[in-house]
Amino acid sequence: MMASRPLPSHNPSHTNPDPDNDPCQCSPPGQASTECALPPKDSCDDEPEPSPADCQSEQSESVRSALRLNLTPPVDTSEQSPSSQAVRCKLPPSGKTPKRLKHKSSKPQGSKQCSWLLRLFESKLFDMAIAIQYLFHSKEPGVQSYIGNRMFSFRDEDVDFFLPQLLNMYIQMHDVAEAIHPYLVSRCRRSVEFSIKASWLLDAYSEDILNRPSWKTSQGLKLKNMITNEELSPLKEHPTSPSATNVLSPGGQARRHKRSQSDATGIFNPGPLKRCLSAITGKQVSTSGDLASGHAFDNGCICHQSSEGVLNDLVGRQTECHCGAPRLRSQLDFINAFMTIGSKLQQLQTKELRTSRLIAELSLLNLNLPARVWLPIHSNINHHVVRIPPSQAVVLNSKEKAPYLLYVEVLECTDVYTAPVPNKLLENTLRHVRSEEDLTAYEKAEEGSSSGGTGGSSPRPEFSVYGHNGAEYDDADCWSQEDDEIIQQYRGAQRSKPSADCLSQLSASADSKEPVFIAAGDIRRRLSESFQQPKTKFERDPEDPSAAAMKEPFDEKVRRIRESSPYGHLPNWKLLSVIIKCGDDLRQELLAYQVLKQLQRIWTKEHVPLFITPYHILVTSDDSGMIEAIVDAVSIHQVKKHSKLSLLEYFIREFGPVTSEEFMAAQTNFVQSCAGYCLVSYLLQVKDRHNGNIMLDAHGHIIHIDYGFILSNSPGKNLGFETSAFKLTSEFVEVMGGIGSDMFEYFKILMLQGLVAARKHMDKIVPLVEIMQTGSQLPCFGKGVGTINGMKERFHLNLTEEQLQLLIDNMVDSSINSLTTRLYDGFQYLTNGIL
Amino acid sequence: MTSKPSVVLPKDKLLRKGSHSKMALKEKIVQIYEALFRGEDPSTGNQNFWDEFFLLRVNAQYLENEIEKLNGEQVQALKETINSMIYHSIETLKDEHPIRAVNAMHTISALIHAIFQKSSSDHGFDIINVLIGFDIAEAQMQILIERLNQLLTSDRPLSLKSAALSVLMVLITAKENVSQNMMLEYVMINSVFESVVQILGNPESRSSHGHDAILLLTLLVQYRKYESANPYIVKLSILDDELALHGFAQIVSSLLTDFNRQYRQSTAQPEGGFFASLTNMVGSMFVAEEKKTEAMKANDAVLLALYEAIHLNRNFITTLTQSHTPSTPTTPPSSPASHRSGPDLNSPNNLPSDAKPDLATLTDSANQPTNLLVTFLEYCSIVMQDIKDVTRFNNAKLCLIILTIIAEDQYANSLMHDVNMNYRVPLHKMPMRHRKVTVDMKPASRPLASALLDLIVEFTQSHMMKNIPLELYLRSLGIAHRILCYQKKCRVRLQYPWKELWTALINLLKFVMSNESHLLKKHDIFHLSSQMVNIFNLFITFGDTFLPNPSSYDELYYEIIRMHQVFDNLYSMALRYTTTEGQWKESAVKLTNTLVNVRAIINHFSPKVDSWAAANSLSSLTEDQVLEVVRSNYDTLTLKLQENLDQYERYSEKPKEASFFTQMVRQVISDYRKSYGVTGPKSALQELPS
Repeated sequence: MMASRPLPSHNPSHTNPDPDNDPCQCSPPGQASTECALPPKDSCDDEPEPSPADCQSEQSESVRSALRLNLTPPVDTSEQSPSSQAVRCKLPPSGKTPKRLKHKSSKPQGSKQCSWLLRLFESKLFDMAIAIQYLFHSKEPGVQSYIGNRMFSFRDEDVDFFLPQLLNMYIQMHDVAEAIHPYLVSRCRRSVEFSIKASWLLDAYSEDILNRPSWKTSQGLKLKNMITNEELSPLKEHPTSPSATNVLSPGGQARRHKRSQSDATGIFNPGPLKRCLSAITGKQVSTSGDLASGHAFDNGCICHQSSEGVLNDLVGRQTECHCGAPRLRSQLDFINAFMTIGSKLQQLQTKELRTSRLIAELSLLNLNLPARVWLPIHSNINHHVVRIPPSQAVVLNSKEKAPYLLYVEVLECTDVYTAPVPNKLLENTLRHVRSEEDLTAYEKAEEGSSSGGTGGSSPRPEFSVYGHNGAEYDDADCWSQEDDEIIQQYRGAQRSKPSADCLSQLSASADSKEPVFIAAGDIRRRLSESFQQPKTKFERDPEDPSAAAMKEPFDEKVRRIRESSPYGHLPNWKLLSVIIKCGDDLRQELLAYQVLKQLQRIWTKEHVPLFITPYHILVTSDDSGMIEAIVDAVSIHQVKKHSKLSLLEYFIREFGPVTSEEFMAAQTNFVQSCAGYCLVSYLLQVKDRHNGNIMLDAHGHIIHIDYGFILSNSPGKNLGFETSAFKLTSEFVEVMGGIGSDMFEYFKILMLQGLVAARKHMDKIVPLVEIMQTGSQLPCFGKGVGTINGMKERFHLNLTEEQLQLLIDNMVDSSINSLTTRLYDGFQYLTNGIL
Repeated sequence: MTSKPSVVLPKDKLLRKGSHSKMALKEKIVQIYEALFRGEDPSTGNQNFWDEFFLLRVNAQYLENEIEKLNGEQVQALKETINSMIYHSIETLKDEHPIRAVNAMHTISALIHAIFQKSSSDHGFDIINVLIGFDIAEAQMQILIERLNQLLTSDRPLSLKSAALSVLMVLITAKENVSQNMMLEYVMINSVFESVVQILGNPESRSSHGHDAILLLTLLVQYRKYESANPYIVKLSILDDELALHGFAQIVSSLLTDFNRQYRQSTAQPEGGFFASLTNMVGSMFVAEEKKTEAMKANDAVLLALYEAIHLNRNFITTLTQSHTPSTPTTPPSSPASHRSGPDLNSPNNLPSDAKPDLATLTDSANQPTNLLVTFLEYCSIVMQDIKDVTRFNNAKLCLIILTIIAEDQYANSLMHDVNMNYRVPLHKMPMRHRKVTVDMKPASRPLASALLDLIVEFTQSHMMKNIPLELYLRSLGIAHRILCYQKKCRVRLQYPWKELWTALINLLKFVMSNESHLLKKHDIFHLSSQMVNIFNLFITFGDTFLPNPSSYDELYYEIIRMHQVFDNLYSMALRYTTTEGQWKESAVKLTNTLVNVRAIINHFSPKVDSWAAANSLSSLTEDQVLEVVRSNYDTLTLKLQENLDQYERYSEKPKEASFFTQMVRQVISDYRKSYGVTGPKSALQELPS
């Protein structure tokens, strides 16, 4: 279980490899926790009651110390030496801990419980999912703080998955907040990425408690403010530096540290230090966030321009920023810029107005790129954003809100914070500049009327090569490299016998006196042939620009954009896509993503070939966020509208006849994904399942999107439009081969296997939802605890497998014949024109 | 070109004059001027004289009038005094005190202006010597330009910057012929380019000084353009600061937008009844016309700036189609609201007060995002309507030259043909006898190439007059030709109703032939006709590479067959001139050659159509029937592959258009001088914090 402990090297408290039990050696974790735990306590100092558990504070304190003394060392050092193994094995029965625990817990079976708990906590099975569960259910401060410490040893990614749960507990439960505070602070110090995500989530989940603030729930906002005020900067390694002392005594000094930073932005106290600071920050202050400045996302850090930065660059070392420039500002500004665009689009009525406005706003944004900013939704790839091709962005179909899809060009880098930001390249860099130098060269060529030799390699000599030599027309000075290639081809064509097909290249063969004849019929034939190629693209429709944009295979789009991009030639160039949503609450989407991801993991683990596509969600506030764009997929509505075919006919058109291998592969994909999403729809009670919310990807998988209505919430004021367990239309069944076909039976078997597997691991799914329900005002928790119980019931723990099979058969039958599904589709067609 | 402060100034003066006349008091500055011009040196015995002198407000009017009164010898005699004034002005520019600096700059401006004025009438002296003095001229000018650069780039009040720009503008427009202005040698040696670029790049300074900045740059580029290496040409051509280029485009765009808006307002149909429209008509007869030409003259400079940017700098092309919103920054500038003293861009939506986009500004149609090319196309459609006036003709010609350069650019073409970049381009049409003026303010959203082609078609249709603008016709046809060449080369299929272009060309051919004898007196109509026929030839031979659908190729044949008489007549006319010796023989021969395929088509299909009609015993055929005949008879038709159909002579300024541009620059300079003469040096003093 201790396989990897990616702890920060500069954090001395948790990297202590010494396995000894000596209290002095144990103190680092304790010290770390007190040091880190101070801020919340401190931040509560204006409240009369400092701690919720104050009545038992002494007891809990002692238990905590006991846990710390006896539990943490082995945790920290479990694999260091055999002796520590021995210690760990001995621990549960050993005298001290149980006694203290017993002393603390008044329940009679406390000792036994805790020792079992301890064994669980130390077993290999103990992972973040279990930790979260215990953090939520256990009211024991000792257990909570143990888990809080233990979290340091989990992999960052594992913890990050549960970040919404952790932060919701942080906001809603004061005791948990205290336990996990050190961990969160430490992560914030280490990672800008984590800081930003945490601040957004804190912001979003605090929204519900804003109306009824109390001292019990203020810690969330306080942490958020600490993060956004950049109080949580990384600890400096040199103890002599002033910032290090700041860190050691966090209270007032930390605040002063922060003030000195913001003071540098606009104060008028003279002095040499100030002058040098303003020289650095002056530029940043005036431009930060101002898109017209061209430096909106420049935090004013000069470390990379400094001689040290240049040196590091040369020797391949990484440059750490130490000039004290704000770490989060530029990234926050970057995301804010997207959200501002979204809210502007929202005010416009037609799609066309929105599209043109979007293009304009993005061109403005582009002036500020490249910058040290990244798309947080693709944080698994380290990158800097270099360009957003404005005309590739599309406004998505939505009446009220204006979500939009962006394609963003990025350059991969080793580390976002330390790698230098790429230099600006101009749009049409392919073409060489028509400088005065070129002009003179051009003139010389003109005067000398030099009819040059053959094919030069660089653009310059080609001035003479393609200069004014008699009848041949000069256009060398304007042709870019690609044009030169064409000319080369043409020269090649001239040398070899021209085939009929390259006739169009041939017209320039001025010197051939022999007249060339062409048949009018050939021209006409070529023209119609060029239109007979199978159309795989959707025609561009100004009312639905997203359809054409999304139908284009992603590979093709990448190639096209790469060709037109000035950065496209760089090996680390990449195209990412993202959907920006503004005015929508994505917290439910985030919850759905987590559940889907867990289900996917469970099914993979249990070898059930169900296919679902959880897409990343990034919540930036309670009414904005980003969604990972699903590439190579269009909605079934768009498929039907643009192809004017039934789903099965579309499958045949796209993949081939029913008996072909391609079709069968696509059909299998369809069945596996359909079964997966039917289960998801059933378990989460996903509603609003019209065809605009179901996507079809290039391999035949369906992908459900839009989890705005889940659990207790459904459209139409919960009137119960869609009463069936899930959406399974006869059209879907038709693609599977019809009722009773082999694939249809396979579909039902898959569903049964999937449900059995999910039931086996339901304790990995239910807590996710349960924790988020705490204190939440989200509509999906409209029925309160009933929501969770209802969800638990849908796992049918009491049924045998045979009974489950029966249940699934029933659900499938009733879904196919469901009147309400058809009614709802009809309703959507009438109101929103969705087929 | 009037600005608020300069409007205020004369009033201010008038008031003061009135109140002062009673007491017959002289301004102190005037007394000092008098003393100076008497040859006295007031600084003797007063160490602080110059410090105090520059604290007094400059009376440029008086100063210039005094110099105006002098004769050549007197000017020579005052050389020391003038030198000393210039010297101390330049010294004072160092001063941190903004009032002194502004006054110093106004003094310099006034002296330069006055001395140059003097020299134009009287060649008895050397300007540089009189102004600065030969021995120190080079050093002094270097210091002056350094100081001006500092003022322009540092964080100083806007009024200081506009005064600095004004000094440079006065210097550069001192002579009608910019190339004869010897003082500019110093500006060539000591570059102000970087400062100007910085102004263009900064959204705030751009909005207040943008117009002067681009004008300055444009005029500097003109200096000895055709004779020697001009560093500004080099620098402008390799400028790759995206922000500055973007700023340049935005300035041009907003000035052109102002013009377009004025035009729209002047032509807006009143909603009222008959009487309202009558009064409006009468009113526009007297007022609007005048206003229009007034605005147009101001736009020569802007157009010239646009031309130089496009012509010299290839990176500028990208900014053409870069969308921007007409309103200034989305976030208000962080500095406190600043005074705007510039003569331009004072349009209400540039004021910082409503820089925050609210619902009203967002949905306002004037605030829809647009780009320079859209604005420019609309501008062209206005200017091209009426080209009888020589300035309008030149303006339209410059428009067409700019469009030619754009149409030659591969990258610009790729942008104009990008189906993802659709714009609504409102193209204005001229009222003509046979059609109503319907300005479609809600045109379809299409790629820009379609709008450009529409503009060409409209121009072709609307300028068939006795005094045919042959030059403009050649240019506009050349633009269409260039676009077709691009489409052919890159196999781009633009969804455009090509029939409109064909019809326009055929109509023009008809017009040319019906006025053959009249036009031939002056013009080579054979060359013009060849160009038109060659456009047809492109369609005939290479239609497969760019036509939007197969049936459009059939339609092309249908049109040619339908209008065969026009081509027949054209051929016989050309033939007539080939047989007789004359100045048109050569181009007439060329024309007959270009007609070979069109004639082949007519000769091939006409009998087929006739026989088909006979076989089906029909007197006339419907379009569908003819198309049917065309479709079934392609295979027996052989066409000749013509040479150089997709080649064109690239635009170059030097031999052909040099005199046009020299004239244009003269015009721009004299316009600026006139406006300067009216307003005098813009006093920025009122705006300075005291």
